[in-house]
Amino acid sequence: MNKILAVGFLVFSTFAAHAEYEQVNLTVFGMDCAPCAHAIHVSMKGIQGVNTVDVDLNTGLVSIKLTPGNSAAMHQINEAVEKNGFTHKDANVVVRGQLSGSAQAPFLDVSGTKDRYALTPIAAGTDISGLLGKTVLIEGVLPQSGKGEVSGTLHYKSVMEAK
Amino acid sequence: MKCLMVLVGVVLATGTAFAADHGPVFSYATPVNSEREFSFDSGIIGRNGSQGTQFSTGSGFGYGVTPHITVNAFLPATFGTGSLPESRIVSGSEWSAGASWRFLHSVTSVGKRIESTASLGLVVPGPQHDSGVLASLPRAPGVAGTLATGMASRSQYVWVGGGYTRFAEASHDRRPDTLSWSAVYGYRPPGLRRGYDKWDYRGFAELTGEHTGGVRTEGLILPNSSSTTVWLGPSVLAIFKDVAIEGGVQGPLFRDVSESVYGRERVRFAINLSYLKYSSHTNSH
Repeated sequence: MNKILAVGFLVFSTFAAHAEYEQVNLTVFGMDCAPCAHAIHVSMKGIQGVNTVDVDLNTGLVSIKLTPGNSAAMHQINEAVEKNGFTHKDANVVVRGQLSGSAQAPFLDVSGTKDRYALTPIAAGTDISGLLGKTVLIEGVLPQSGKGEVSGTLHYKSVMEAK
Repeated sequence: MKCLMVLVGVVLATGTAFAADHGPVFSYATPVNSEREFSFDSGIIGRNGSQGTQFSTGSGFGYGVTPHITVNAFLPATFGTGSLPESRIVSGSEWSAGASWRFLHSVTSVGKRIESTASLGLVVPGPQHDSGVLASLPRAPGVAGTLATGMASRSQYVWVGGGYTRFAEASHDRRPDTLSWSAVYGYRPPGLRRGYDKWDYRGFAELTGEHTGGVRTEGLILPNSSSTTVWLGPSVLAIFKDVAIEGGVQGPLFRDVSESVYGRERVRFAINLSYLKYSSHTNSH
Protein backbone atom coordinates (compact mmCIF):
# COMPACT_ATOMS: atom_id res chain seq x y z
CA MET A 1 0.00 0.00 0.00
CA ASN A 2 2.82 2.32 0.91
CA LYS A 3 4.51 1.56 -2.41
CA ILE A 4 1.35 2.43 -4.32
CA LEU A 5 1.06 5.69 -2.42
CA ALA A 6 4.72 6.45 -3.12
CA VAL A 7 4.32 5.78 -6.83
CA GLY A 8 1.13 7.85 -6.90
CA PHE A 9 2.91 10.72 -5.21
CA LEU A 10 5.79 10.55 -7.67
CA VAL A 11 3.41 10.55 -10.63
CA PHE A 12 1.48 13.48 -9.16
CA SER A 13 4.73 15.35 -8.48
CA THR A 14 5.83 14.84 -12.08
CA PHE A 15 2.61 16.29 -13.44
CA ALA A 16 2.68 19.15 -10.97
CA ALA A 17 6.19 20.10 -12.00
CA HIS A 18 5.67 19.72 -15.75
CA ALA A 19 6.09 22.91 -17.71
CA GLU A 20 4.02 23.43 -20.80
CA TYR A 21 1.88 25.75 -22.85
CA GLU A 22 -1.78 25.41 -21.98
CA GLN A 23 -3.28 27.87 -24.43
CA VAL A 24 -2.01 30.04 -27.29
CA ASN A 25 -4.12 32.65 -29.07
CA LEU A 26 -2.67 34.51 -32.00
CA THR A 27 -3.98 36.75 -34.75
CA VAL A 28 -2.87 35.52 -38.14
CA PHE A 29 -2.52 37.88 -41.09
CA GLY A 30 -3.32 37.00 -44.69
CA MET A 31 -6.04 34.35 -44.44
CA ASP A 32 -8.66 35.35 -47.00
CA CYS A 33 -10.35 32.05 -47.77
CA ALA A 34 -11.42 28.75 -46.27
CA PRO A 35 -8.39 26.73 -47.45
CA CYS A 36 -6.12 29.26 -45.71
CA ALA A 37 -7.88 28.55 -42.43
CA HIS A 38 -7.96 24.83 -43.10
CA ALA A 39 -4.22 24.86 -43.79
CA ILE A 40 -3.60 26.52 -40.42
CA HIS A 41 -5.90 24.04 -38.71
CA VAL A 42 -4.12 21.03 -40.26
CA SER A 43 -0.68 22.41 -39.47
CA MET A 44 -1.54 23.18 -35.84
CA LYS A 45 -3.17 19.80 -35.31
CA GLY A 46 0.02 18.21 -36.60
CA ILE A 47 1.90 19.50 -33.57
CA GLN A 48 2.08 16.83 -30.91
CA GLY A 49 0.19 18.00 -27.87
CA VAL A 50 -2.28 20.29 -29.61
CA ASN A 51 -5.77 19.37 -28.50
CA THR A 52 -8.16 21.80 -30.20
CA VAL A 53 -7.71 24.52 -32.82
CA ASP A 54 -10.31 27.16 -33.63
CA VAL A 55 -9.81 29.50 -36.57
CA ASP A 56 -11.94 32.60 -37.14
CA LEU A 57 -11.45 33.78 -40.73
CA ASN A 58 -13.06 37.18 -40.20
CA THR A 59 -10.95 38.18 -37.20
CA GLY A 60 -7.89 36.08 -38.05
CA LEU A 61 -7.88 34.71 -34.51
CA VAL A 62 -6.39 31.24 -34.08
CA SER A 63 -7.07 29.71 -30.64
CA ILE A 64 -5.05 26.65 -29.66
CA LYS A 65 -5.61 24.54 -26.56
CA LEU A 66 -2.97 22.01 -25.64
CA THR A 67 -3.19 18.77 -23.72
CA PRO A 68 -1.73 18.38 -20.21
CA GLY A 69 1.82 17.05 -20.28
CA ASN A 70 2.52 18.28 -23.82
CA SER A 71 5.98 19.33 -24.95
CA ALA A 72 4.99 21.58 -27.88
CA ALA A 73 7.40 24.47 -28.37
CA MET A 74 6.52 27.98 -29.47
CA HIS A 75 8.66 27.77 -32.60
CA GLN A 76 6.48 24.89 -33.84
CA ILE A 77 3.38 27.07 -33.57
CA ASN A 78 5.12 29.91 -35.41
CA GLU A 79 6.33 27.49 -38.08
CA ALA A 80 2.79 26.20 -38.62
CA VAL A 81 1.78 29.77 -39.50
CA GLU A 82 4.83 30.64 -41.61
CA LYS A 83 4.93 27.48 -43.74
CA ASN A 84 1.51 28.40 -45.06
CA GLY A 85 2.70 31.83 -46.14
CA PHE A 86 1.15 33.82 -43.31
CA THR A 87 2.43 35.98 -40.50
CA HIS A 88 1.07 36.60 -37.02
CA LYS A 89 0.96 39.35 -34.47
CA ASP A 90 1.64 39.04 -30.76
CA ALA A 91 0.62 35.75 -29.18
CA ASN A 92 -1.40 35.57 -25.98
CA VAL A 93 -0.26 32.56 -24.01
CA VAL A 94 -1.12 30.70 -20.85
CA VAL A 95 2.01 28.81 -19.90
CA ARG A 96 3.30 26.82 -16.98
CA GLY A 97 6.99 26.94 -16.13
CA GLN A 98 9.76 27.27 -13.62
CA LEU A 99 10.50 30.77 -12.34
CA SER A 100 14.23 31.49 -12.02
CA GLY A 101 16.68 34.38 -12.00
CA SER A 102 16.16 37.25 -9.61
CA ALA A 103 13.35 39.59 -8.64
CA GLN A 104 14.91 42.22 -10.92
CA ALA A 105 15.58 39.83 -13.81
CA PRO A 106 13.21 36.88 -13.64
CA PHE A 107 13.12 34.11 -16.22
CA LEU A 108 10.58 31.48 -17.11
CA ASP A 109 11.76 28.06 -18.24
CA VAL A 110 9.19 25.94 -20.05
CA SER A 111 11.04 22.79 -19.10
CA GLY A 112 9.22 20.42 -21.44
CA THR A 113 10.71 22.48 -24.25
CA LYS A 114 13.83 24.57 -24.75
CA ASP A 115 11.83 27.77 -24.43
CA ARG A 116 13.14 30.33 -21.96
CA TYR A 117 11.77 33.83 -21.55
CA ALA A 118 12.88 36.98 -19.78
CA LEU A 119 9.81 38.20 -17.91
CA THR A 120 8.62 41.78 -17.88
CA PRO A 121 5.37 42.95 -16.30
CA ILE A 122 2.71 44.59 -18.44
CA ALA A 123 1.66 46.64 -15.40
CA ALA A 124 4.28 48.00 -13.01
CA GLY A 125 4.31 47.08 -9.33
CA THR A 126 3.95 43.32 -9.57
CA ASP A 127 6.17 41.53 -7.07
CA ILE A 128 6.98 37.98 -8.04
CA SER A 129 10.08 37.52 -5.87
CA GLY A 130 8.17 35.17 -3.56
CA LEU A 131 7.59 32.79 -6.44
CA LEU A 132 11.23 32.40 -7.51
CA GLY A 133 12.20 28.74 -7.79
CA LYS A 134 8.58 27.65 -7.98
CA THR A 135 6.46 26.31 -10.78
CA VAL A 136 4.13 29.08 -11.87
CA LEU A 137 1.24 29.60 -14.25
CA ILE A 138 1.65 32.74 -16.32
CA GLU A 139 -0.74 34.55 -18.60
CA GLY A 140 1.02 36.96 -20.88
CA VAL A 141 1.92 38.22 -24.31
CA LEU A 142 4.75 37.08 -26.57
CA PRO A 143 5.60 39.98 -28.89
CA GLN A 144 5.66 39.42 -32.63
CA SER A 145 9.08 38.31 -33.80
CA GLY A 146 10.83 37.86 -37.12
CA LYS A 147 10.29 34.87 -39.36
CA GLY A 148 11.70 31.71 -37.82
CA GLU A 149 12.29 33.42 -34.50
CA VAL A 150 10.57 33.35 -31.11
CA SER A 151 10.58 36.35 -28.83
CA GLY A 152 12.93 36.02 -25.86
CA THR A 153 10.66 38.17 -23.71
CA LEU A 154 7.30 37.38 -22.23
CA HIS A 155 5.20 40.31 -21.01
CA TYR A 156 3.14 38.87 -18.19
CA LYS A 157 -0.31 39.94 -17.10
CA SER A 158 -0.57 37.56 -14.18
CA VAL A 159 1.65 35.09 -12.35
CA MET A 160 0.43 32.56 -9.84
CA GLU A 161 1.87 29.47 -8.27
CA ALA A 162 0.85 26.41 -10.22
CA LYS A 163 -1.29 23.93 -8.38
CA MET B 1 15.95 9.73 -58.16
CA LYS B 2 15.09 13.10 -56.61
CA CYS B 3 17.09 14.85 -59.32
CA LEU B 4 15.19 12.90 -61.97
CA MET B 5 11.85 13.87 -60.43
CA VAL B 6 12.84 17.53 -60.30
CA LEU B 7 14.03 17.36 -63.92
CA VAL B 8 10.78 15.80 -65.02
CA GLY B 9 8.92 18.50 -63.12
CA VAL B 10 10.87 21.28 -64.80
CA VAL B 11 10.65 19.72 -68.24
CA LEU B 12 6.92 19.53 -67.97
CA ALA B 13 6.44 23.36 -67.34
CA THR B 14 3.27 25.36 -67.01
CA GLY B 15 2.03 28.34 -68.88
CA THR B 16 -1.70 27.99 -68.89
CA ALA B 17 -3.92 30.05 -66.69
CA PHE B 18 -6.58 27.39 -66.38
CA ALA B 19 -6.84 25.28 -63.25
CA ALA B 20 -4.98 27.59 -60.92
CA ASP B 21 -6.40 26.02 -57.80
CA HIS B 22 -9.06 27.83 -55.76
CA GLY B 23 -9.02 31.06 -57.76
CA PRO B 24 -10.62 32.34 -60.93
CA VAL B 25 -11.10 29.68 -63.57
CA PHE B 26 -9.88 31.48 -66.71
CA SER B 27 -7.47 34.12 -65.46
CA TYR B 28 -3.90 34.20 -64.26
CA ALA B 29 -3.61 34.03 -60.49
CA THR B 30 -0.88 33.02 -58.07
CA PRO B 31 -0.96 29.26 -57.72
CA VAL B 32 1.53 28.96 -54.90
CA ASN B 33 1.03 26.17 -52.42
CA SER B 34 1.90 26.03 -48.75
CA GLU B 35 5.12 24.24 -47.91
CA ARG B 36 4.67 20.48 -48.48
CA GLU B 37 1.13 21.03 -49.79
CA PHE B 38 -0.04 18.98 -52.74
CA SER B 39 -2.78 20.37 -54.95
CA PHE B 40 -4.67 18.38 -57.54
CA ASP B 41 -6.81 19.89 -60.27
CA SER B 42 -9.06 18.25 -62.75
CA GLY B 43 -11.36 20.07 -65.09
CA ILE B 44 -12.84 20.56 -68.48
CA ILE B 45 -12.86 23.63 -70.65
CA GLY B 46 -14.77 24.08 -73.86
CA ARG B 47 -14.49 26.42 -76.86
CA ASN B 48 -17.52 26.49 -79.07
CA GLY B 49 -17.41 27.99 -82.55
CA SER B 50 -18.63 27.83 -86.10
CA GLN B 51 -16.68 24.66 -86.84
CA GLY B 52 -17.62 22.70 -83.76
CA THR B 53 -16.77 22.44 -80.09
CA GLN B 54 -13.31 21.69 -78.80
CA PHE B 55 -12.90 20.33 -75.29
CA SER B 56 -9.79 20.16 -73.21
CA THR B 57 -9.78 18.11 -70.12
CA GLY B 58 -6.82 17.58 -67.95
CA SER B 59 -5.24 17.02 -64.62
CA GLY B 60 -2.73 19.18 -62.89
CA PHE B 61 -0.80 18.93 -59.71
CA GLY B 62 1.34 21.25 -57.67
CA TYR B 63 3.69 20.78 -54.75
CA GLY B 64 4.88 23.48 -52.39
CA VAL B 65 8.66 23.18 -52.08
CA THR B 66 8.73 26.21 -49.80
CA PRO B 67 5.93 28.62 -48.79
CA HIS B 68 6.83 30.66 -51.88
CA ILE B 69 7.98 28.15 -54.50
CA THR B 70 5.69 25.62 -56.09
CA VAL B 71 6.42 23.13 -58.84
CA ASN B 72 3.50 22.14 -61.00
CA ALA B 73 2.55 20.07 -63.98
CA PHE B 74 -0.48 19.89 -66.22
CA LEU B 75 -1.38 17.03 -68.50
CA PRO B 76 -4.34 17.80 -70.75
CA ALA B 77 -6.22 15.79 -73.30
CA THR B 78 -8.37 17.27 -76.06
CA PHE B 79 -11.33 16.00 -77.99
CA GLY B 80 -13.62 17.54 -80.54
CA THR B 81 -12.51 19.90 -83.28
CA GLY B 82 -13.01 23.60 -83.61
CA SER B 83 -10.22 24.76 -85.94
CA LEU B 84 -9.54 27.50 -83.43
CA PRO B 85 -6.49 29.73 -82.91
CA GLU B 86 -3.71 28.75 -80.53
CA SER B 87 -4.51 29.58 -76.91
CA ARG B 88 -2.56 29.51 -73.70
CA ILE B 89 -5.39 30.93 -71.56
CA VAL B 90 -7.26 27.77 -72.46
CA SER B 91 -5.12 24.68 -72.23
CA GLY B 92 -4.48 22.89 -75.49
CA SER B 93 -3.00 19.48 -76.00
CA GLU B 94 0.49 20.41 -74.76
CA TRP B 95 1.79 18.91 -71.60
CA SER B 96 3.32 21.51 -69.42
CA ALA B 97 5.04 21.94 -66.09
CA GLY B 98 7.29 24.34 -64.31
CA ALA B 99 7.85 26.34 -61.20
CA SER B 100 6.16 29.36 -59.68
CA TRP B 101 7.94 31.78 -57.42
CA ARG B 102 5.98 34.17 -55.23
CA PHE B 103 8.57 36.93 -55.17
CA LEU B 104 6.38 39.53 -53.48
CA HIS B 105 4.28 38.59 -50.52
CA SER B 106 2.78 41.09 -48.15
CA VAL B 107 0.44 39.99 -45.38
CA THR B 108 0.15 42.87 -42.97
CA SER B 109 -3.48 42.77 -41.93
CA VAL B 110 -6.24 40.34 -41.09
CA GLY B 111 -7.72 38.54 -44.08
CA LYS B 112 -5.69 40.40 -46.71
CA ARG B 113 -2.71 39.55 -48.89
CA ILE B 114 -0.88 41.31 -51.70
CA GLU B 115 1.38 39.17 -53.80
CA SER B 116 3.15 38.71 -57.11
CA THR B 117 4.18 35.46 -58.68
CA ALA B 118 6.35 34.61 -61.66
CA SER B 119 6.15 31.24 -63.37
CA LEU B 120 8.47 29.71 -65.89
CA GLY B 121 8.56 26.38 -67.58
CA LEU B 122 8.50 24.29 -70.68
CA VAL B 123 5.62 23.19 -72.87
CA VAL B 124 6.03 19.91 -74.70
CA PRO B 125 3.75 18.42 -77.35
CA GLY B 126 1.34 15.81 -76.06
CA PRO B 127 0.35 12.74 -78.07
CA GLN B 128 -2.69 14.44 -79.59
CA HIS B 129 -2.85 16.74 -82.60
CA ASP B 130 -4.64 20.05 -82.94
CA SER B 131 -7.37 20.70 -85.44
CA GLY B 132 -7.55 23.10 -88.35
CA VAL B 133 -4.51 24.94 -89.65
CA LEU B 134 -2.46 23.99 -86.59
CA ALA B 135 -3.01 20.27 -87.17
CA SER B 136 -0.51 20.00 -89.99
CA LEU B 137 2.36 21.73 -88.17
CA PRO B 138 5.22 19.63 -86.84
CA ARG B 139 5.18 20.37 -83.14
CA ALA B 140 8.14 21.44 -81.08
CA PRO B 141 8.51 22.33 -77.41
CA GLY B 142 8.08 25.88 -76.20
CA VAL B 143 8.90 28.09 -73.27
CA ALA B 144 6.17 29.76 -71.24
CA GLY B 145 6.53 32.58 -68.76
CA THR B 146 3.79 34.24 -66.73
CA LEU B 147 3.55 37.05 -64.24
CA ALA B 148 0.58 37.67 -61.98
CA THR B 149 -0.01 40.18 -59.22
CA GLY B 150 -2.94 41.18 -57.11
CA MET B 151 -4.72 41.66 -53.82
CA ALA B 152 -7.13 39.34 -52.07
CA SER B 153 -9.14 40.08 -48.98
CA ARG B 154 -12.19 38.53 -47.38
CA SER B 155 -14.39 40.79 -49.51
CA GLN B 156 -12.42 41.91 -52.59
CA TYR B 157 -10.18 40.21 -55.11
CA VAL B 158 -8.30 42.10 -57.80
CA TRP B 159 -5.74 40.33 -59.93
CA VAL B 160 -3.93 41.01 -63.20
CA GLY B 161 -1.58 38.78 -65.10
CA GLY B 162 0.10 38.10 -68.36
CA GLY B 163 1.92 35.32 -70.10
CA TYR B 164 4.05 34.73 -73.15
CA THR B 165 4.69 31.43 -74.86
CA ARG B 166 7.21 30.88 -77.64
CA PHE B 167 7.54 27.61 -79.48
CA ALA B 168 10.67 26.30 -81.14
CA GLU B 169 10.89 25.78 -84.88
CA ALA B 170 10.50 22.30 -86.32
CA SER B 171 11.17 21.52 -90.01
CA HIS B 172 10.86 25.21 -90.97
CA ASP B 173 7.44 25.33 -89.29
CA ARG B 174 6.61 27.08 -86.07
CA ARG B 175 3.54 27.40 -83.94
CA PRO B 176 2.53 31.00 -83.25
CA ASP B 177 3.91 32.91 -80.30
CA THR B 178 1.14 33.69 -77.85
CA LEU B 179 0.74 36.74 -75.66
CA SER B 180 -2.01 36.38 -73.08
CA TRP B 181 -3.31 38.67 -70.38
CA SER B 182 -6.09 38.73 -67.82
CA ALA B 183 -7.75 40.98 -65.27
CA VAL B 184 -10.18 39.69 -62.71
CA TYR B 185 -12.34 41.25 -60.03
CA GLY B 186 -13.88 39.12 -57.32
CA TYR B 187 -16.32 39.85 -54.54
CA ARG B 188 -17.61 37.89 -51.57
CA PRO B 189 -20.84 39.36 -50.12
CA PRO B 190 -20.98 39.92 -46.34
CA GLY B 191 -23.47 37.11 -45.83
CA LEU B 192 -21.02 34.64 -47.38
CA ARG B 193 -18.02 35.61 -45.26
CA ARG B 194 -18.57 32.64 -43.01
CA GLY B 195 -16.48 30.26 -40.97
CA TYR B 196 -14.06 27.95 -42.71
CA ASP B 197 -16.12 24.91 -41.78
CA LYS B 198 -18.89 26.12 -44.08
CA TRP B 199 -18.99 26.44 -47.87
CA ASP B 200 -17.21 29.60 -48.92
CA TYR B 201 -18.19 31.36 -52.17
CA ARG B 202 -16.72 34.11 -54.29
CA GLY B 203 -17.97 35.56 -57.57
CA PHE B 204 -15.66 36.86 -60.28
CA ALA B 205 -15.80 38.93 -63.45
CA GLU B 206 -12.99 37.66 -65.65
CA LEU B 207 -11.53 39.59 -68.57
CA THR B 208 -9.00 37.72 -70.67
CA GLY B 209 -7.26 38.48 -73.93
CA GLU B 210 -4.88 36.84 -76.29
CA HIS B 211 -2.81 37.71 -79.31
CA THR B 212 -1.32 34.91 -81.35
CA GLY B 213 1.32 35.57 -83.96
CA GLY B 214 1.38 34.25 -87.47
CA VAL B 215 1.66 30.53 -88.17
CA ARG B 216 4.93 29.72 -89.95
CA THR B 217 4.72 26.87 -92.39
CA GLU B 218 7.55 25.81 -94.71
CA GLY B 219 9.46 28.93 -93.70
CA LEU B 220 6.69 31.36 -94.60
CA ILE B 221 4.10 33.11 -92.47
CA LEU B 222 0.63 31.97 -93.36
CA PRO B 223 -1.38 35.08 -94.36
CA ASN B 224 -4.05 36.24 -91.90
CA SER B 225 -3.05 33.57 -89.38
CA SER B 226 -2.48 35.91 -86.45
CA SER B 227 -5.39 36.55 -84.13
CA THR B 228 -6.48 38.83 -81.32
CA THR B 229 -9.41 38.15 -79.03
CA VAL B 230 -10.77 39.57 -75.78
CA TRP B 231 -13.21 37.66 -73.60
CA LEU B 232 -15.39 38.59 -70.63
CA GLY B 233 -17.61 36.56 -68.37
CA PRO B 234 -18.61 35.57 -64.85
CA SER B 235 -17.34 32.70 -62.79
CA VAL B 236 -18.01 31.33 -59.32
CA LEU B 237 -15.68 29.69 -56.85
CA ALA B 238 -17.02 27.45 -54.08
CA ILE B 239 -14.70 26.08 -51.41
CA PHE B 240 -15.16 23.75 -48.48
CA LYS B 241 -11.99 23.25 -46.43
CA ASP B 242 -9.72 21.42 -48.88
CA VAL B 243 -12.04 21.08 -51.88
CA ALA B 244 -12.76 23.82 -54.43
CA ILE B 245 -15.08 23.91 -57.43
CA GLU B 246 -14.82 26.67 -60.00
CA GLY B 247 -17.01 27.24 -63.01
CA GLY B 248 -17.47 30.04 -65.51
CA VAL B 249 -18.44 31.12 -68.97
CA GLN B 250 -17.04 33.81 -71.29
CA GLY B 251 -18.22 35.53 -74.43
CA PRO B 252 -16.16 37.53 -76.92
CA LEU B 253 -15.79 41.29 -76.44
CA PHE B 254 -13.42 41.73 -79.37
CA ARG B 255 -12.35 39.42 -82.16
CA ASP B 256 -9.81 40.00 -84.88
CA VAL B 257 -9.62 36.54 -86.38
CA SER B 258 -9.68 35.57 -90.03
CA GLU B 259 -12.54 33.20 -90.65
CA SER B 260 -10.80 31.95 -93.76
CA VAL B 261 -8.16 30.40 -91.49
CA TYR B 262 -9.96 29.67 -88.21
CA GLY B 263 -13.42 28.85 -86.97
CA ARG B 264 -15.45 31.67 -85.41
CA GLU B 265 -15.27 31.10 -81.67
CA ARG B 266 -18.46 32.09 -79.84
CA VAL B 267 -18.25 30.96 -76.25
CA ARG B 268 -15.84 29.51 -73.72
CA PHE B 269 -16.86 27.60 -70.62
CA ALA B 270 -14.99 25.80 -67.89
CA ILE B 271 -15.44 23.83 -64.72
CA ASN B 272 -12.60 22.76 -62.46
CA LEU B 273 -12.31 20.70 -59.31
CA SER B 274 -9.40 21.19 -56.93
CA TYR B 275 -8.27 19.14 -53.98
CA LEU B 276 -5.70 20.59 -51.61
CA LYS B 277 -3.72 18.21 -49.44
CA TYR B 278 -2.06 20.18 -46.70
CA SER B 279 0.88 18.97 -44.70
CA SER B 280 0.64 18.67 -40.93
CA HIS B 281 4.40 18.29 -40.68
CA THR B 282 6.29 20.63 -38.39
CA ASN B 283 9.82 20.35 -37.13
CA SER B 284 10.12 19.08 -33.61
CA HIS B 285 12.57 20.49 -31.09
